[in-house]
Amino acid sequence: MDKKYIVSPSPHIHADTSTTTIMRDVIIALCPALLVSVLVYGWAELLVLAVSVASCVLLEWAVTKWLMKRPSTVGDLSAVVTGLLLAMNLPSAIPLWIVFIGAVVAICIAKLSFGGIGQNVFNPAITGRVFLLISFPAQMTDWMPTPGFITVPDAVSGATPLSALKEALKSGSSISEFLDANGYTAASMFWDIGASAGEISAGALLIGFVYLLVRRVVKPWIPLSILGTMALIAAVFHWLVNPELYTGPAFNLLTGGTFLGALFMATDYVTSPMSTWGGVIYGIGIGLIAMMIRYFGAYPEGMSFAILLMNCTVPLLNMWFHQKKYGRA
Amino acid sequence: MGKLTFSMGGIHPHDSKFARERAIEQLPLPPVVYVSMAQHLGAPAKPVVAVGDRVKVGQVIAEPGGFISAFIHSPASGTVKSVAPRKDLAGNPVVHVEIAVEGDEWEPSIDRSKQLVTAIPDDKAAILDRIKACGIVGLGGATFPTHVKLSPPPGKVAECLIINGSECEPYLTSDYRIMLESPKEIVVGAAIMQKVLGGCRCVIGIEENKPEAIRSMRAAVAELGYPGIAVQTLKKRYPQGGEKQLIDAVMRRQVGSGGLPIDVGAVVQNVGTALAVYDAVQKNMPLITNVLTVTGDRIPGNLQHNYRFRIGVPLSFVVEQAGGIPDTAAKIVSGGPMMGKAVSNLDATTVKGTSAVLYLSEAATRRRPETACIRCGHCADSCPMGLEPFLLNRLYKAADLEALEKHAAQDCIECGCCLYSCPAGVPLLDNIRQAKGQVMGVIRARAAAAKAAAEAAKK
Repeated sequence: MDKKYIVSPSPHIHADTSTTTIMRDVIIALCPALLVSVLVYGWAELLVLAVSVASCVLLEWAVTKWLMKRPSTVGDLSAVVTGLLLAMNLPSAIPLWIVFIGAVVAICIAKLSFGGIGQNVFNPAITGRVFLLISFPAQMTDWMPTPGFITVPDAVSGATPLSALKEALKSGSSISEFLDANGYTAASMFWDIGASAGEISAGALLIGFVYLLVRRVVKPWIPLSILGTMALIAAVFHWLVNPELYTGPAFNLLTGGTFLGALFMATDYVTSPMSTWGGVIYGIGIGLIAMMIRYFGAYPEGMSFAILLMNCTVPLLNMWFHQKKYGRA
Repeated sequence: MGKLTFSMGGIHPHDSKFARERAIEQLPLPPVVYVSMAQHLGAPAKPVVAVGDRVKVGQVIAEPGGFISAFIHSPASGTVKSVAPRKDLAGNPVVHVEIAVEGDEWEPSIDRSKQLVTAIPDDKAAILDRIKACGIVGLGGATFPTHVKLSPPPGKVAECLIINGSECEPYLTSDYRIMLESPKEIVVGAAIMQKVLGGCRCVIGIEENKPEAIRSMRAAVAELGYPGIAVQTLKKRYPQGGEKQLIDAVMRRQVGSGGLPIDVGAVVQNVGTALAVYDAVQKNMPLITNVLTVTGDRIPGNLQHNYRFRIGVPLSFVVEQAGGIPDTAAKIVSGGPMMGKAVSNLDATTVKGTSAVLYLSEAATRRRPETACIRCGHCADSCPMGLEPFLLNRLYKAADLEALEKHAAQDCIECGCCLYSCPAGVPLLDNIRQAKGQVMGVIRARAAAAKAAAEAAKK
């Protein structure tokens, strides 16, 4: 043979899916929710998104190039995903320098200091968000709506439903009084609820998630076990313990970061278990911790903490749970 | 019954059966053929001809070198020029018998007519002897001697003979073509094996992407009327034709680690093997020809062929007859794109198990550069053995043989699904192959030590 031909072991063909195409699918899946949040919160929201994504991408590029001296991993789009998810966890009125600090924590500390993509223990976007929540509690819980491109009649007060509820319960009102006073119905909560950008519409998030399911990027077990656990706990406390002290399943599933967390944050490949059963245990843990924080904790919202805590258990779950092997009991 | 498939893992690559409409052509004979002595699983055969001997087509030129081994026959008539080591596909030296082709004079005992013979001999032992004497080996890939597979050890009973017509490897069309062109011969071959195995049921499994083959085989089964033979449609899913996967699909049983199909009552034979068995038993025709596909991606139709070739024809001759290597080819593969071997040496000869010459373009075959594992789990999802390739890869790098054995590296069937589906281009199978070899070494050493200890205890 005069010409040189490639000689390498089988298989000789490969799937089209790459890390980049997977991340691109996640970005596409986030689009409906992004669209809703930009429509509702306007230019301010767009700016938060832009600063968050740009910061994450630039930081990843700079750190890999100058500090880690490695080929840049910006091309795999994972930094864009982190940037989008971080921004979707922030109020639109937040000062932009705080967004940048969140990006530093997410990319430089949570992701790259562990070795970059694939190596991090904690979900970068959630780590960034929790850092900001603890460091800048005032700015992070200021839900003054910024002027949007459309007006949503029944949503958007100064506080998220979860924190407003916490306040209401403290001041002695009951849950039914609170819901009536604010005009919350299941339908309004599904489509639009005042909260951080990504939390605004469970419906839009669900549409995106269905896209990921169809594209076989994610499997439904983790979200199902989180949502199932939360619904079960809420049902027990609401109907069996005290309906005026504990909110019910619909309220808990459709408010706060439940959908964003369950569908897009807890399903992060790197920080969730590999096996189906490991994923189910992980999901149950997240649901349990989130509900305990909501019912009994100081914070109105518990998704972020729950996911971070369960991130810690992933190496253990990976060690304990394996998939069923062919021909073995 | 609906469409069946195996229960875990698998992938769905594009089937790329571009050569499916090309009828089988006879590949002419080159001036010289080289017959390898190592073209079956097990011990190499021992040559029984010497330089200068005149041989006829179908004459025995080598005898089995062990229990698991096979006879080899001359694919051409002529003079033996040498019996010497020659480079095989991978460049390793293997003894070959070189024959200068003179005319085309056949052993007179071989029935070369096209007449279909449907009456099956009564004597099972005679049938087995004939299959052995004709050098029949499994043509589905592993080239395991067929007579050994058809002789279950005492205490084991075959409950189902599965004839593998799934041809799940993309690009390959040779099994498809024989199912269209020789369906009755295949069914007779299956009935012969069914008889040898004691009359168990027989299922011919064919993937749904070959409806014409399913129709053709169904018609042949109906017309010939042997009892207990059925054609079963399988879903299109690689590696459906893997022995363990096919048993899972058809019988809903799984072969234990290190076990044999017969442990769960199964015997699996390829459609090509069934045809060879027909030829051997009904026509006294030894295994001196097989069908291969010449195909590839982005190559013109006139370079695509299905050939019946004499076993021992050099690959370079096949390529030349088929119209030469297309300019777009960046890799030449002997066999399918998932499990075939890259050809480094086109002078290498064809062997009993050769199924294709595949030209792949740079775009089709390029591996993406390796990036970090993102723990997506696609490798584990696609593994038809239920293994966790990402874990095995990590354990291999840590050289943890004990954990590799615990996580069943030795069960890997090297189908390539993990490496095919990895989005980060991690060379999973490359490493797991090495790991498997090491673990098998440990298991064999342990078995040998246990045997030695048992013998020492006896004394």
